Amino acid sequence: MKREARAFAGPIVAVLAIAALMSAAMLVAGTTPVAGFSALIAGALGGRNEIGETLVATTALLFPALGIALAFRAGLFNIGAEGQLLVGALFAGAVGPLLTIPPAAAFVLLFFLGALGGFVWGGIAGWMKARFNANEVISTLMLNFVAASLTLELAGGPLRGPVASGAETAWLPNAYWLPTLISHTRLSTGILVALAVAVALHFVFSRTVFGYELRATGEAPEAARRNGINIARITWLSLALSGAIAGMGGAAIVTGELHRFNTQLSPGYGFTAIAVALVGDLRPLWICVAAFGFGILEAGGLSMQASVQVPKDAIHVIEGLIVLILAARRYVVTRAHGASA
Amino acid sequence: MDPGAALNALVLRGIVKVYPGVRAVDGVDLHLVPGEIHALVGENGAGKSTLASIAFGEIAADAGTVESAGVVGLVHQHFELIGRLRVWQNVLLGREPRRGWRIDIDAARERVRALARDNGFSIDVDAFVDDLPIGIAQRVELLRELDRNPAVLLLDEPTAALAPAEIDAFFTTVRGLAERGTAVMIVTHKLQEVISYSATISVMRAGKIVARMETADVTLDDVARAMVGGRVPAVAPRTQTELRPCVSIERLRAGEGGGHIESLSLEVRGGEIVGIAGVEGNGQTTLADALTGTIAYSGEIQKTGMGIIPQDRQREALVMSWPVTDNAILGRQRGRSGKRLMVDRKGARDDAQWIASHFDVRAASLERPVRTLSGGNQQKLVVGRALIDGSPFVLAYNPTRGIDVGAAALVQSRLMQARNDGAAILLVSFELDEILALADRVIVIYRGAIAGSFDREAFDRAAIGRLMAGGS
Repeated sequence: MKREARAFAGPIVAVLAIAALMSAAMLVAGTTPVAGFSALIAGALGGRNEIGETLVATTALLFPALGIALAFRAGLFNIGAEGQLLVGALFAGAVGPLLTIPPAAAFVLLFFLGALGGFVWGGIAGWMKARFNANEVISTLMLNFVAASLTLELAGGPLRGPVASGAETAWLPNAYWLPTLISHTRLSTGILVALAVAVALHFVFSRTVFGYELRATGEAPEAARRNGINIARITWLSLALSGAIAGMGGAAIVTGELHRFNTQLSPGYGFTAIAVALVGDLRPLWICVAAFGFGILEAGGLSMQASVQVPKDAIHVIEGLIVLILAARRYVVTRAHGASA
Repeated sequence: MDPGAALNALVLRGIVKVYPGVRAVDGVDLHLVPGEIHALVGENGAGKSTLASIAFGEIAADAGTVESAGVVGLVHQHFELIGRLRVWQNVLLGREPRRGWRIDIDAARERVRALARDNGFSIDVDAFVDDLPIGIAQRVELLRELDRNPAVLLLDEPTAALAPAEIDAFFTTVRGLAERGTAVMIVTHKLQEVISYSATISVMRAGKIVARMETADVTLDDVARAMVGGRVPAVAPRTQTELRPCVSIERLRAGEGGGHIESLSLEVRGGEIVGIAGVEGNGQTTLADALTGTIAYSGEIQKTGMGIIPQDRQREALVMSWPVTDNAILGRQRGRSGKRLMVDRKGARDDAQWIASHFDVRAASLERPVRTLSGGNQQKLVVGRALIDGSPFVLAYNPTRGIDVGAAALVQSRLMQARNDGAAILLVSFELDEILALADRVIVIYRGAIAGSFDREAFDRAAIGRLMAGGS
């Protein structure tokens, strides 16, 4: 009972904090919270197109958030989902235009390539951690910049498409565009893949030996090590798999949304996803809910800006504050346990 | 004469402390006289530590009063030292002598050195606490309290980590303090020490003081009976076994610097308990780590499937935030084949159930985090997990450290039964009494090498003690 109550406390605190902070931002901008929230909700859920956009953002956030949760549960702070997503997207975007296989096989291959790109990118940080004990916060963060430069170099050079206006690859053939889920919106079936990954991850955590060992490593590394769990393997593998899930998110954007790789394809999804993962209490199914909530903020933020003049950037400020609040809460909870033990 | 000598140094009246679901301290009256060494004994969970924390002023009582004649010092069971600071920095933390706005380092070091000298031991005041063996680290903790010149000194399980010689030295220090007028209260469950060193005894059970005794008038059994409320559990008897080759260690070399192992050869046969006796820091941890494969080593180790009882249950054995069921399969999650991919949840529940009933693990529910269990119950879970598969080899490192008499007897009995059933058991313990009680053979380890070996019929406490201290 108590354990359950505490598990819910985090997300509830976060949601209340978001509401309070947004109300404050609206009051500062000279409008009432009622008007502001109405604009936000209308912009996010007010119609077929709005809902579609909200779910597009949900999809883009869900993949990296699930990846981040996997690493966090192993006790590893993967701050590099943005870079992993970008590399995954590049892998899919580079190969996609060259394919001539049936669409079903192509979709599997493109998602696999996205996962592979992210796997490699996350795996680099994982290998550095396992081999040299390099702090993964620093390495994953820095690899974001490497990924940005590398993809810019490649997409602006050798991989640049014939009709590209910037650093973009060629278009994917029409057959390789993920089918639309809600007609007349940009929402693709990529969201189903994301939800499937969430369910799979839930299963991995709760039922598999790998998930058990991963969680043991995250919760009590010394006990895990002494009970024969190969910490080095868990470490590199969870960062690599974390990257792989984020990389699938890149592939989902390429095949489902933009239909080619563009260096600008993520407005920081990999960073916002950290907040999504934390609000979702690092539990895959709750992360789906959290991603939808953040999707509302992302999609509704624009129309809120237009109708009540609260800048969309306020949303990002709030997202940053949420990470702070949740990190502080974790710290406080940990300390309280330490004191009572 | 000090005119206040006849007065009490510490008086507790009607102390009550309630935690959710338990009256930890339930109406306790207690007084300490200056110069007295008083022992507060009781099983784990009896409320001793809570009472000590209330006397110290660290926890507020729900009811009752605390009066003391001066500063009250408390040395915690779990050290509260800063490992990355030096000895003198830890001792004087918050009370550093100053010269202007700077710390007067020379004065500080001298003050700590003098304090140690006055209390009859020497210590490198510039050593980092992280580099110290536990026995020495504990002295740092003691020095920190002594620097405050306490009228009352509370010691919570002070000898839990000490070797016999260190325990003697420790109590010599404590006696010196008492002779100079400090009232000392030792909170402990180690009855031999209580009988040897205290003047008076209070026995606590379920939050109440159930007996107050003059040590001179009672025997160890009297105290033990009062403590557990009648029944003193016995350890299972030793039976005749047939010895079979099981574990062999040859020319083992591992670790470096203090606590390393150099060229150690050792055999543990099925059907015997081999006890490793030694002062902490003489290579026991390195030996255990090499056996469990957590450090690199050279030499040869031949062993079979292994059950492990690590030395620090909270850090090395259990995932504290997990329920009993999940912890019951830690280290066994891959199954006997080692190839299992899915967690066997039903198996985990059955195992937890089995361990709980056979090892008397008292938990409100097996789905509660092990954090909520008492130390004794946590340890019984760890021991049960190490023995559940009937592993031919069991490594037990301080298996009864910091747990109550009842739990300790159960743990020792189960180890004995495993031995009777043919398991090879390597028992590393810093409590010589435990080794002498359980082992068929004692190996004395000193500075990473074997200093001597005794068969059960040739056990010689004094000789073993000498070898542990580096003598011959």
